[in-house]
Amino acid sequence: MQQRRDLNQVHTNKVLLNGQLNVPKWWAPTVALLGIMVLIGFTAIGIMVNKGLGVTGLSRPVYWGLFITTFVFWVGISHAGIMISAILRLTQAEWRRPVTRAAELLTVFSLLTALFFPLMHAGRPWRIIYYIIPYDFSRGIYPNIRSPLIWDPVAISTYLTGSTLFLYVALIPDLGNLRDRTTGWKNALYTILALGWRGNPRQWQMQTIGGILLSALMLPIFVSVHSIVSWDFAIIPSVEGWHSTIFAPYFVIGAVHSGVSAVVTMMALMRWLWKWDDFIRPEHFDALARLLIVVATAWLGFTFLELIFAVYGLDAPELALREMQIFHWPWNLLFIIFLFTGYIIPVGMWLFKSVRSNIALMFWSSILVNIGMWLERYLIIVPGLARKQPFVFTWEAYRPSGLEWLILVWSFAWVTFLMLLFSRFFPLVPLFEQKESQVFTDDVKIGRAKVPAIIREID
Amino acid sequence: MSKTDTNTHNKGHHLPPKNVPFNEITKDLIATTVTGSKKIKQISILLSILSIIGIIALIVKYFADHDDSTKWGYVAALISFLLSVGGGAPMVGIAPVLAKANWVRPVTRISAIFSLTGVSTLILIIPLMMMLPPLMVDGVRRRSIWFEGPIYSPHVWDYVALMGLVLTGLALFYSAALPDFAAMREHSSGWRKNLGKTLSRGWIGTDSQWRTLRMRIGMFGTFYFLILIFVNFLFATDFAMSMVPGWRDAIFPMYHAITSLQGGVAIVVASLWIIRKYFKLEKYIHVDQFWSLSRLLFALTLLWIYFFYSAFIVFWYGRSANDIAWIELLITGPMMWVFLTGAFFIWIAPWWWLIWNKVRRSVNGPIIGAILILIGLFLDRLRLFVTAWSVPTESIHEKYLKIIPELVLPNYLDILIIIGGISLAFLPVLLISRVIPVLSIWEVQQFNLLAKPIKYMKTHGVLVAKPD
Repeated sequence: MQQRRDLNQVHTNKVLLNGQLNVPKWWAPTVALLGIMVLIGFTAIGIMVNKGLGVTGLSRPVYWGLFITTFVFWVGISHAGIMISAILRLTQAEWRRPVTRAAELLTVFSLLTALFFPLMHAGRPWRIIYYIIPYDFSRGIYPNIRSPLIWDPVAISTYLTGSTLFLYVALIPDLGNLRDRTTGWKNALYTILALGWRGNPRQWQMQTIGGILLSALMLPIFVSVHSIVSWDFAIIPSVEGWHSTIFAPYFVIGAVHSGVSAVVTMMALMRWLWKWDDFIRPEHFDALARLLIVVATAWLGFTFLELIFAVYGLDAPELALREMQIFHWPWNLLFIIFLFTGYIIPVGMWLFKSVRSNIALMFWSSILVNIGMWLERYLIIVPGLARKQPFVFTWEAYRPSGLEWLILVWSFAWVTFLMLLFSRFFPLVPLFEQKESQVFTDDVKIGRAKVPAIIREID
Repeated sequence: MSKTDTNTHNKGHHLPPKNVPFNEITKDLIATTVTGSKKIKQISILLSILSIIGIIALIVKYFADHDDSTKWGYVAALISFLLSVGGGAPMVGIAPVLAKANWVRPVTRISAIFSLTGVSTLILIIPLMMMLPPLMVDGVRRRSIWFEGPIYSPHVWDYVALMGLVLTGLALFYSAALPDFAAMREHSSGWRKNLGKTLSRGWIGTDSQWRTLRMRIGMFGTFYFLILIFVNFLFATDFAMSMVPGWRDAIFPMYHAITSLQGGVAIVVASLWIIRKYFKLEKYIHVDQFWSLSRLLFALTLLWIYFFYSAFIVFWYGRSANDIAWIELLITGPMMWVFLTGAFFIWIAPWWWLIWNKVRRSVNGPIIGAILILIGLFLDRLRLFVTAWSVPTESIHEKYLKIIPELVLPNYLDILIIIGGISLAFLPVLLISRVIPVLSIWEVQQFNLLAKPIKYMKTHGVLVAKPD
């Protein structure tokens, strides 16, 4: 914490509550614009539900296309929250503090968005109800509970519930703060949500224990969610490129790479838009970039293992698929973009401290990562289905339709829209974490050097 | 909880470790090189005899069984076990240092010392290399990660990689030991003083020397980690997976690496407990070290089941002939009971033991978890390597394993090799404790310098400095 600044609590309250108590000028037009985009997106979804999947590019044999890719992508982004908030909390990484709320929020909203895609993909979303309520046992038509397609919604809804709870528990002290600074209906709302928070020692103890317990409970859910999503593919031996034992950790580490990069994007935006220079500092970007170098390199290692063991078996269909995926047009172009944007360019940049501390460069490099990570999912899902196999009687290359692209763009507008709406009512940087950080950090003199230090409680 | 634990007061609450004056640290730790010399001498003689018997048994086995690779599974399992434990241990002193964790400082030396076990692995692996089939079997190239490479690629490159790992480990150990060799030069007598003079290479502790030292530790540490993963990848693939037709398991090298780290942390916990008790180092090895290490151990135990299950579910659900063969060979087949017992020791028992904070935050709790894991790891290695090597070379080109081989039991030579191999690995670890302190003097001094006990509100705390 080399760039630590002594900030008093009044200043912290004033600056961090500026989204709720003094709405910035840019907020309303931005939300309106995003609202229009969201409306257009919902209209597109409506058209698709009305006309059926025929309006998409999906057709035999590629039935899993842009929607499932985007579903996996958003589930991946959702791994930001628990990685930053729970894991870094348990490992007592001090620099996590200003980032936790935004990361948790990203988890909740990206999961909400991810859930739309399998629903849309079903073509007739109302039929999903048959997965939940079996309608005819006697005919044997009921969902197979051993199917990952059942585990998926169970895991994701558990993760969503847990993440929302996690977000809420961490929000309570700030809600108490807002309650004491507002009047009218807002005051009534915050009073209800603050659950009688007064900040006495017992409440703080409960809040801390609750946070730690939830962190520990959320970790296995965090790992299981993307593992289960990966098993949607991995347990199928008939599609080349999917039946791999490494998929679960490969998906999880990829999700962390993509999620933490999305947090970097958000942090840069928060710093620029709300002018939180004192709270979101270059050192935070530096720490995240160091973490990302490790995560990205581990992810690259898994990518290497996935590829090498795909060709290791020397099975002709698998070799043909990999050849197509890496060397044939247009997959080769996508593969190169994926590799360069997912790893080579961003990690190459992050090796330099000057880049890690440069917020604009961090912003753009984090966006590159997510372009790469989206392409990674696309390259996993589509080519395996698209490769021509014996006995396939219809053969058309998959090209996502304009409507599919529109819905993809909608998903980004939707998440941003929700985030901005949230920021109007709740602080994006946790006030109490910020104040706690001020208390727990200090500088000590060792020899001639002034060294930043952290207080660790014993028992 | 140990009653001799100095950072625990009467009510059972933990107090922060007390700062010890630098001179006292140097004196105490240098004294460990002469403590209990007689007993160590006796143990060393016993280990040497067992090592010689083991090496003779290995030579006899080579001449007796050199035409039948199916009988070499126990040797492969032993080497995998030693590689895992000895190779994984130095990582305990590398990863937390890179993450600026102060608690790890008193642990770095004992973890780095385990790189010496690599020397025994380099010796024991030679006959096993000779038993490894070349890439061309019966005129046809077998499946391997070397694809079209020269037919002895696994033999040559695996050995080179292993040698690289051992050399990097030794370089890391030696680089980090320079200031302590200088301390030996200044504060000990007789042959130890002369040895310190030679090995300290003119260390006087200038700014530039310290900067170089930190740079070397960072560089060798990072490099060691990369080679360790690579060696695990090579060993798991060439000495297990490629021996079984149709075994295509992308997670297996990572599984081998994760269990290697698990074994490494376990052996460090066990060694720390022994040296704390034997050399009376309660002043320097605190509950905090055991607490942090047991958290690592717990996390790695969870990773074991995650990595195992990630592979299992794919094979179990896949149901292809290949998938079924994998399950029958490694799970339900000839070594089912070894698998079940191993899973109990490496996962279930330590999981339920280490899940309790009270156990983790004690001196005697983590050692039990560590021993369970070491037993489990050994059984797990038997399950994997004995079954993999039991597949006859004639079936190596098949698409998948059609006939599951019978259980191969160890003969007296295998048992002697296992006992001798473990003795050979631990002998240098024991001997080095006569040459250099088992806790790094300068790291313990730095630990004291950077962590100051403070009274914090109504409780106790530590102010931990985090220099860049």
